[in-house]
Amino acid sequence: MNLIKIKRIAAILSIIGISVISFAFMNPVKITVKGSDTMVILAQKWAEVFMKKNPNISIQVTGGGSGVGVSALINGSTDICNSSRKMSQTEIDKLKARYNTLGIEIPCAKDGITVYLHPTNKVKELTIKQLSDIYSGRITNWKSVGGVDAEIKLYGRENSSGTYVFFKDNVVKADYAANCQTLPGTAAVVNAVKKDINGIGYGGAAYSTGIEICKVKKDAKSIAYAATAETIKSNQYPITRYLYMYVRNRPSGAIKTYIDWILSSEGQALVTQVGYFPVR
Amino acid sequence: MKKLFLFTILILSFVIQAKSQSVEDSLKEQIGEIKDRISGLDERLLTSESSLSKLTKIKLSGYIQAQYDNFENKLSAPSLYNYFSIRRARLKVTYEAAEGIKFVLQPDFAPGSLSLKDAYVVLNEQWIKSGILKKTFSLWAGKFNRPNYEVEYSSSQREVPERSLIIRTLYPGERAIGAKLEVTPESIPLKIQLAIFNGNDGGFTQYSDTTGKSTSNTIENKDYDNFKDYMARATYSFKLGSFGGLDIGAHAYFGSLKSSTNATLRSDYKTIDSSKVGNSVSRNWFGGEFQFFADVLGGMSLKGEYITGNNATLGGAKFANGNLLPNFQNKFAGYYVYLIKNVGRKNQFAFRYDFYDPNTSVSGSDVNVLKFTGDNTMKIGALKCTKADLAYTTYTLAWHYYFDDNIRITLAYSIVQNEKVGKNASGTSNLIETYTNPNGTPGTIDYSQIFRENQLTLRLQAKF
Repeated sequence: MNLIKIKRIAAILSIIGISVISFAFMNPVKITVKGSDTMVILAQKWAEVFMKKNPNISIQVTGGGSGVGVSALINGSTDICNSSRKMSQTEIDKLKARYNTLGIEIPCAKDGITVYLHPTNKVKELTIKQLSDIYSGRITNWKSVGGVDAEIKLYGRENSSGTYVFFKDNVVKADYAANCQTLPGTAAVVNAVKKDINGIGYGGAAYSTGIEICKVKKDAKSIAYAATAETIKSNQYPITRYLYMYVRNRPSGAIKTYIDWILSSEGQALVTQVGYFPVR
Repeated sequence: MKKLFLFTILILSFVIQAKSQSVEDSLKEQIGEIKDRISGLDERLLTSESSLSKLTKIKLSGYIQAQYDNFENKLSAPSLYNYFSIRRARLKVTYEAAEGIKFVLQPDFAPGSLSLKDAYVVLNEQWIKSGILKKTFSLWAGKFNRPNYEVEYSSSQREVPERSLIIRTLYPGERAIGAKLEVTPESIPLKIQLAIFNGNDGGFTQYSDTTGKSTSNTIENKDYDNFKDYMARATYSFKLGSFGGLDIGAHAYFGSLKSSTNATLRSDYKTIDSSKVGNSVSRNWFGGEFQFFADVLGGMSLKGEYITGNNATLGGAKFANGNLLPNFQNKFAGYYVYLIKNVGRKNQFAFRYDFYDPNTSVSGSDVNVLKFTGDNTMKIGALKCTKADLAYTTYTLAWHYYFDDNIRITLAYSIVQNEKVGKNASGTSNLIETYTNPNGTPGTIDYSQIFRENQLTLRLQAKF
């Protein structure tokens, strides 16, 4: 009698166990990716191709800016953070306090911050110093940099954007001019410059289709380079940066599979396809 | 007929033209109206944007800790063994006036103890545009945390309910009024903090005037002597690849109190240093710290700090024989070690070992034993070690459940152990205290045994 009871209990437990395991396998694993707007197109492309190959893994990609992505990583609302800048020490300290880790940084693509101009603009190249003067408000007229006598209209990103931070730290090196119009996303910056003959904007290289790209040179004596695969790879283009993925802990499971695939030749081929530059 | 037809066509064309003209005019008028409306909206939007941009400079954050405590402190008065309380209710307002300029105001609204915790201004250096010193310096002024790891680590993040005993003793209230220079080079993971404070810690310093009248300084907002306290702290962070990181650091405190009497007794209860009223009584200590973070099956950290030095309390009150009580300078040592392990994304386990010996020159067996002979003029020889010289060890275990980013539930248990006192020749404890149970019956605490002072805390924290 006891043996029968034990067998029944074992059978019930096995059924429950198998159901739980099957349920776990039947439900697709979900990975959330949040952060840089610059990287949204690339991240969506990666997710789309990867999900076709791995139907049991679901990847949800959203933008919002690098700052938003890092906050989401710290508060636990995303698995992967996309960031077009490095995490700051303050952000690392917050991660330490909550998760007792320093986070894992994965450079996954290279980008050249491109300066957009209206196609009719006479100005075709600028130095880093001139860009700094323009965006900090010291130069306000195109005439000062070889253009027509017209007021310069500045377009830029919001302060939650990694591109905003990178451009400020590496090009402007001062506060942005008060009249710089901030827009939510690089696509909006490109559209604004397309419509404004006196406009100037900046953003990721992947968004430069259908707009005039301004060549950039380190200083007055240097050669001006456009942001291309060759100039960015060879570091000739002066405003290049890495694009990063951040995770809280050393990746494992589906997240590791996804990141490994991104860094594989297949994932890196998509980087080029979208308009950025591979790291491998 | 033909003429009539042509005339009709002509009339019709005139009518149509006139009609189309009026439609065109009407359209133009409508477009003009819409343009005016858009311009109006644009203006309103610009005004709203301008007002909103001012609001974005203000940041509000804070947290509330509501908790239930069950403890075994028999000497508390009135006799209490459990209660609900609001441990902290903070609202932090940060105003970024301009790039690099920040004002912070943080009151604590805990019932019955409304107090101003932080009130300071931070000025970040903006003039160095490049090189190693770019964005390196920041100047703080006002009331802010003293530079120490556990002091600066927010109570909303700390893994056990309270700071360790040595930190609570050395830095009561955590904050002090003064100024601080922080040096944080962008390219080097180094942080240097140099601070100067009034030194009237936590707003309460017992002291006495030249007549020996004992009084206390409860006005934290100003100093009561001209001596200032100095602090220095330096930390350096090492990255250990994808494995984790190690932060190491040290801090030093150089402070003083204004003597109100003519002698200072050292912690051995034997040595007396002559002093003058108005002279400084020094209180100096040094500490070393580390924080090790490892990515082992989720996050894990091991953190610790050791501090040793001389602290001081002021004398001045008169003995019955008319002599003044001397100042007291005690050698102390203490440390704490944390082990913290994250369990999945929602849970966290923490353990802390915390030790503090307020007087390393004597042991527990010296308490209440008249073994030291001192200066007869001062009658100091009559002084005995007290329970204030006993060392305490605390083991704290805590489990946290992070319901979401804002809510944390904590269950913690602290085991507090006292240093034992000696016994006399007849086997009786050298220190026994009496207390009254809640039901009115008397009880005793024998300090020659480890008596129970354990505490259970269940805390709900809401942070925003």
